[in-house]
Amino acid sequence: MPVLIRSLVDAVGSAHVREGAACAAFAIDGRAPRAAVFPASPDELAAVMRVAAAARVPVVPWGGGTEMLVGAPPPADALVVGTGRLTAVLEHEPGDLTATVEAGLTMEALQAALGVRGQWVPLDPPAPARSTLGGVLATNRSGPRRQLYGTARDLVLGLRVVTADGELVRAGGRVVKNVAGYDLAKLYLGSRGTLGIIVEATVKLRPRPEAEAACWGSFATLADAARAAAALAGGELGPTALELLDGGGAAVTGRAAAVPVPAEPAVLVTFDGLGTTVAWQQAAAARELGAAGASAVARLDAPATRRALEAVREIRTLIPGMVAVARAGVLPSDLVTYLGEVAAAAAEAGLGLAVAAHAGQGLATLAFASDHPAVDATAGALARCRAAARARGGHLALEAASIGVREACPTWDPPGPAGELMRAVKARLDPAGLLNPGRFVGGI
Amino acid sequence: MTTLAPADRSRLRRALGELVGPDGVLTEPAELLVYESDGLTIFRATADAVVFPRSTAEVAACVALANREGLPFVARGAGTGLAGGCLPTEGGIVIALTRMNRILEVDYTNQLAVVEPGLVNLHLSQALGPAGFYYAPDPSSQLACTLGGNVANNSGGPHTLKYGVTTNHVLGLEVVLPDGEVVWLGGKVRDPQGYDLVGLFVGSEGTFGIATKIVVRIVRRPPAVKTLLAVFDQVDQASRTVAAITARGLTPAALEMIDRITIQAVEDAFHAGYPRDAAAALLIELDGLAAGLDEEADRVVAACRENGAREVRVARDERERQLLWKGRKAAFGAYGRVSPAYFVMDGVIPRTRLPEVLRRIETIVAAHGLRVGNVFHAGDGNLHPNILYDPRRPGEEGRVLAAGAEIMKACVEVGGSISGEHGIGLEKRDFMPWIFSEADLATMAAVKAVFNPTGRCNPGKVFPTRKSCAPGELAYQPHPLEASGAIQRL
Repeated sequence: MPVLIRSLVDAVGSAHVREGAACAAFAIDGRAPRAAVFPASPDELAAVMRVAAAARVPVVPWGGGTEMLVGAPPPADALVVGTGRLTAVLEHEPGDLTATVEAGLTMEALQAALGVRGQWVPLDPPAPARSTLGGVLATNRSGPRRQLYGTARDLVLGLRVVTADGELVRAGGRVVKNVAGYDLAKLYLGSRGTLGIIVEATVKLRPRPEAEAACWGSFATLADAARAAAALAGGELGPTALELLDGGGAAVTGRAAAVPVPAEPAVLVTFDGLGTTVAWQQAAAARELGAAGASAVARLDAPATRRALEAVREIRTLIPGMVAVARAGVLPSDLVTYLGEVAAAAAEAGLGLAVAAHAGQGLATLAFASDHPAVDATAGALARCRAAARARGGHLALEAASIGVREACPTWDPPGPAGELMRAVKARLDPAGLLNPGRFVGGI
Repeated sequence: MTTLAPADRSRLRRALGELVGPDGVLTEPAELLVYESDGLTIFRATADAVVFPRSTAEVAACVALANREGLPFVARGAGTGLAGGCLPTEGGIVIALTRMNRILEVDYTNQLAVVEPGLVNLHLSQALGPAGFYYAPDPSSQLACTLGGNVANNSGGPHTLKYGVTTNHVLGLEVVLPDGEVVWLGGKVRDPQGYDLVGLFVGSEGTFGIATKIVVRIVRRPPAVKTLLAVFDQVDQASRTVAAITARGLTPAALEMIDRITIQAVEDAFHAGYPRDAAAALLIELDGLAAGLDEEADRVVAACRENGAREVRVARDERERQLLWKGRKAAFGAYGRVSPAYFVMDGVIPRTRLPEVLRRIETIVAAHGLRVGNVFHAGDGNLHPNILYDPRRPGEEGRVLAAGAEIMKACVEVGGSISGEHGIGLEKRDFMPWIFSEADLATMAAVKAVFNPTGRCNPGKVFPTRKSCAPGELAYQPHPLEASGAIQRL
């Protein structure tokens, strides 16, 4: 048995080291890992990292595996380190509205555990049945409810991380206000495993809302819908989610959510909280949407609201013939003109398009589809969408695309002036370049 | 400590004057006195020069000059900090940002503003007021403290319970790095790609460089507000109520606790309407849409009464509301009526441990022969025990610092932290090993080395000292006239 494998077996036991055909499922872009390892605890994961560091083997952290096709392919013969056995709920103190859990818990399992005491962590990223908390934090994934609740950087109080040389370090703490030392948690969040592997997180909780309701306003044009969304964003209603959908997006999400709405550009505005307040908010939103020229306004009860938000969140999975999904960011006020350019780019490339945007944040998920996928046409459309976003001071990243498209169109924008600092941070924290090398911004 | 000979000081004055104008430099000892300490007056340190740049380019030039001369430098806002964070403990140049105080841009549609670091926190909210917007993080010193200082400390305030602290409201920063280079981190558009260097910079206590432009999130003023004062005959009842409110799923905008000593000082000074005989009071604010606010208030009142509140008052109008808040926000100033000096502490604990920790604080302080006044953000477990003392009594300062250290230990022991919002600065660097391992601190040091490899940018802060430069060595030295009794500190 090669030395590396023997060391890994010593660290986690032979039952939790997979090689060859047994780890074929962990291949990325046709590159199979050397082995896939599944430690049982943060300490075991640190031991695995020490083995990898000693052997100078690159490591690919693996949570639920839902984001592995983002970025350039990993190096050949890397070691996949799976976090799926790190599932302990270490502490849940309802009176403090905090919980400390291990990173391998799926979002669904985490929310179920917290739900026992009527609480939840207000993060609603895609694929909750498979994605893990650690993966969600490492990729900074969020969902429509970020409009009210924020994202990982607003909800994480502390992390434990395995460093590139296999040490366990702590960032932040367990209490809701804490400025002791540098806020290193912010560095690890969204770093996609390139600075350390998240093994434990302390998160802020909220009580499960008592009531939820929504309005779905349909409009003749995307511009009309965007204006209505902007008015809601700038008003006093305080929505939980505020989604702008183009005709394509409205069609697929309405169908998936089993909500009877036309396949027209739409605004989905949702509310949660006290029953009295939510009822008032829904009525006020319906009035505003009508006044803004909606051709139809559907009122959604709690179950329909949840289904609608789930469909919007999972829009990537709803597009038949999907060839690429990108995420663009611009100023909210630039959204409608930007989306017009996106539509033009898709049409010119002969691609179908579905859009769901967080209207109050200026962030849009762009899903492109085709019956006859052609790499050049897709890459060309993406390049135009990227240029249009950057011309407005924004950004665009690929969230899902074949390796062919990713070779023709980089996943990330060029890094910009802060890129040097980012590379310097990477060089300090992972000098041997072992953690998920080559997959991130700026070639990190 | 000043390090330069007079001839070098003159040379420095001329060189800095060429960068910022002759009226932008102070080097005379009498002029430098004001900049010897921040709000935590127990520590003093003298700079070689204080300089007042008016632009990013001038800040960068000052930093470049400091590097050429091998001088340390530290940024300063209003000097209201409470951890000694802007003290020039190794001499050098204090770069005061107070002349860079403009609002550069306000974008109500996209709910952001771009401001200079010397802008006073409250002035920003006041400027946004006519349009119905404000800047949410509201430190109690917001009448004086600056946005740049807020960024350095990741400042909080009473309303951060609901709305988040400074880092949740900063989208981008233009930064002069410690080597003099200017770089933008983040910007106006959400979710910039790559590492969250903005989030890393906020709270780095001036050790990663100097923010010269800040892009902040601005938000609509909530349409309705209800402010309540709950009065208790026992501190325990008040502290149990805090967790009870949280456990009921209520999210007040603010939840502050004030104890008897503080109430009496506040009433003497401001007549805010607090009951002088209460053991403790909770100032609770709810905000949001009017629909449902009464229901929320009813639930809060129920939680208070269930835990023994003898009275719950609701402010009837904006004037009464402002008066209740004045009592809270000016509490520190009111202590002057009951004590010649006070030492402001800052610790955080889980809310559920509030009753036991407050009792421990009483015990610790009494054991050192001192008194304590508590006024703090009970809603997020962020304690501010204010140890009342007389600096003229020999040995008293030492007992204050000892009591303070024991209180910090108590916070750590229940799973809390050694700073909720004031920062580590100078005051608490040697407590860092209580909550961080060697490996934790080494990681922070590695990141710091990326930004500040020479260590010249705000040296002596945040990290524990190897050689023991105990805080007492920089403790207050009375002026000879004061020591003789000829003059008195207010």
